[in-house]
Amino acid sequence: MADTYVAEPDLGFIKEVGALGGADLKKCYQCATCSVACPISPDNKPFPRKEMIAASWGLKDKLISDYDIWLCHNCGDCNTRCPREAKPGEVLGAIRAYAVGEYATPKALSKAIANPKMLPVLLAIPAVIILVMGFIFNSFGLNWLNFSIPAGGEIWQANFIHNYLVDIIMIPTFFGAIAVFALGLKRFLADMHAQAVADGKAKDEKIDFGKVGQAVVSTVLTIIKHNKFSECGENKERSTAHMLVLFSFIGLFIVTNCFFIAEWVLHIEGPYSQLNPVKWLGNAAGVALVVGGILLLRNRMTKKDQASSYWDWYLVGLVLVLGLTGMLTQMARLAGMAGISYTLYFVHLIFVWSLFAYTPFSKLAHLVYRTAAMTYAEYTNRQ
Amino acid sequence: MTEENVAPASDSILVVGGGISGLTTAIEAAEAGYEVFLVEKNPYLGGRVAQLNQYFPKQCPPTCGLEINFRRIKDNSRLKFFTLAEVENVTGSPGNYDVSVKITPRYVNANCTCCGDCADACQAEIDNEFDFGMQKIKGAYLPFEMAFPSRYVISPQIIGTEDAQRCQEACQYDAVELDMEPKTMNFNVGSIVWATGWQPYDAAKIDNLGFGQHPNIVTNMMMERLAAPNGPTKGKIVRPADGKAPESIAFVQCAGSRDENHLPYCSYICCMASLKQAMYVRERDPDAKIYIFYIDMRAPGQRYEKFYQQAKDDENIFFVKGKVAEVNEDADTKNITVVAENAVTGEKIQQNVEMVVLATGMEPTTATAKLPADLNYTDEGFIINDFENGGMFAAGCANKPADVVSSNQNATGMALKAIQTLVTR
Repeated sequence: MADTYVAEPDLGFIKEVGALGGADLKKCYQCATCSVACPISPDNKPFPRKEMIAASWGLKDKLISDYDIWLCHNCGDCNTRCPREAKPGEVLGAIRAYAVGEYATPKALSKAIANPKMLPVLLAIPAVIILVMGFIFNSFGLNWLNFSIPAGGEIWQANFIHNYLVDIIMIPTFFGAIAVFALGLKRFLADMHAQAVADGKAKDEKIDFGKVGQAVVSTVLTIIKHNKFSECGENKERSTAHMLVLFSFIGLFIVTNCFFIAEWVLHIEGPYSQLNPVKWLGNAAGVALVVGGILLLRNRMTKKDQASSYWDWYLVGLVLVLGLTGMLTQMARLAGMAGISYTLYFVHLIFVWSLFAYTPFSKLAHLVYRTAAMTYAEYTNRQ
Repeated sequence: MTEENVAPASDSILVVGGGISGLTTAIEAAEAGYEVFLVEKNPYLGGRVAQLNQYFPKQCPPTCGLEINFRRIKDNSRLKFFTLAEVENVTGSPGNYDVSVKITPRYVNANCTCCGDCADACQAEIDNEFDFGMQKIKGAYLPFEMAFPSRYVISPQIIGTEDAQRCQEACQYDAVELDMEPKTMNFNVGSIVWATGWQPYDAAKIDNLGFGQHPNIVTNMMMERLAAPNGPTKGKIVRPADGKAPESIAFVQCAGSRDENHLPYCSYICCMASLKQAMYVRERDPDAKIYIFYIDMRAPGQRYEKFYQQAKDDENIFFVKGKVAEVNEDADTKNITVVAENAVTGEKIQQNVEMVVLATGMEPTTATAKLPADLNYTDEGFIINDFENGGMFAAGCANKPADVVSSNQNATGMALKAIQTLVTR
């Protein structure tokens, strides 16, 4: 053979993929049923058969830069058809989890977030930050963290933890996460493009940014409409859950920004009237988040043939806790239960901070990598 | 131990199943001087082999091999066989088994000359299981022209109808006996060999391969009948939908075999069977294109490898490494598009063909109906040979998927095992 390829197997990678939910990988005998069973796999170099052999050979570098792993929506059609019960869908999910960890910095945080034993530590971090920052500002006489709220007065979260304190902690965290994503994405895009050119999936090495723009628009539309989900045979119901969670996050992001402007620019203090349209959106999104979270949970609980690892449960848990603590804080406030409302609010803030800080390291990072991969697939006209 | 010196209560052997394995065990044991009873549930001997068009790799007709065995049976007074016979109950221990066998009436006695007058007189038609329902036959029929025993059968489906009367009246030899009753026979034997064989896996269970939904998708055993000169089309390979000779055929290997959702094991013969059937088509139509979709081609041994090489050298036989996982029918032409990923090139292939043959695997008959004896089975239903305990043995495909050659070797070995049971006690 003219062009020889020297495989460099990474045995540790094979083990990790197994631990992340791809334990049946080695049962695969390369019959390629999965590539045909997959409703969204392209005709040219379809997945996941080639990923299955690359993974069992431990070709880590080839796989984490393979954007096909992100085109998979883990609908499970391949798992059902697989004659070996090798669960290609789960293996691809495990490779994605591994890839997220590889592209995120610092690596130590990636490891911690994938490890259930580290969860208490990870949740303690925001709690400590809020308390320490609060005490620091208090020592300057700002009194942004107030444990002695007189009973009987109006219940308002900001009386306990001032919105300025929340924002001073959350905003840098948010942008920190964006920075981690930016670093990871930069490497991912470079690797992905190089691999695609090498594999012949991308024709031109030069990037046409005009075309990239068009690809972004059509990919965002595909995501919003959940087109890929509805092509799946098995697990179609996941589409609804995903839609609810995605739209509620978008809604809550809009609401947060509106109230941020109200607070910092217009200096309108809460609590805001329930008749306020922004509040409507906030409540609707909150309910959608809880319902979406319950559906995610139910789908994972009832789907016996689909393996669910800590990696998956982390995200389901985060969605549910965020939605529940948020909604219950408000309900307790309206019901006049000050202590409960303030406690829930503190818990809610811990999870909001975790959402921001840990997203680039967790399953939720798919929002960046999958979008990038789908855009790139659209750009290279992958069919 | 004193037990070893005790003569067995019986020095006869019972062989269950008159296919190629059962015939071999029975004849070998009888020719070695032992009394053998052979029971077969069908009205004829020969089993699955009788349904084949040709054996691989020599491509000779199976009737040739069967005929020799039938000759040996006729010449051997120690071997007694019973057709339409099924074992109902087995009690006892090695050296001393009491077996009851139920004999279903044939309604035709030994006077039959195979003149066929009864079939001519009969008006009702029944499904022909021998041809997998691809044609109807009369309610009075000869299973196939080389059937042994060479005697007509009256189907229980027409018993009690006017047709049965017509058959009886038409027979000039008083061979039709409509008042034949089922009977039970009891045998005392020293050992039993179960050669209960196999059945084609039900292809309709493989729901993504379209069998039963699209007429031009057939199984490999149906293909044998289509190719056989005594089959429903007199040996013309044609599409069930319109009787057209297909110019392109796709063979789908591992249809249900090596599949945890169906048969988890390799059925051993299907690769060779498809290669053989590809040759059937190529002999008949020099321009026909054959596409064989496979996971791994299994052609064990030097002879089979040579056969495979012969197929590979044929420029009109294309091998595609990739399992077919989807089939689509064109509503107008009734052609089939099979979809697979070529794992060598990494391209998804949509191959349009005029006919599809599913290389369905073999399932032991004991997968669906357990035997009335104290036997152990694998999870898939194959009988596990317990040589420690002895007395009862499984031969051929009752024990594992096998071709005719290995079945014969195995069956000969089991004849010896059965004999050893008789003489060591």
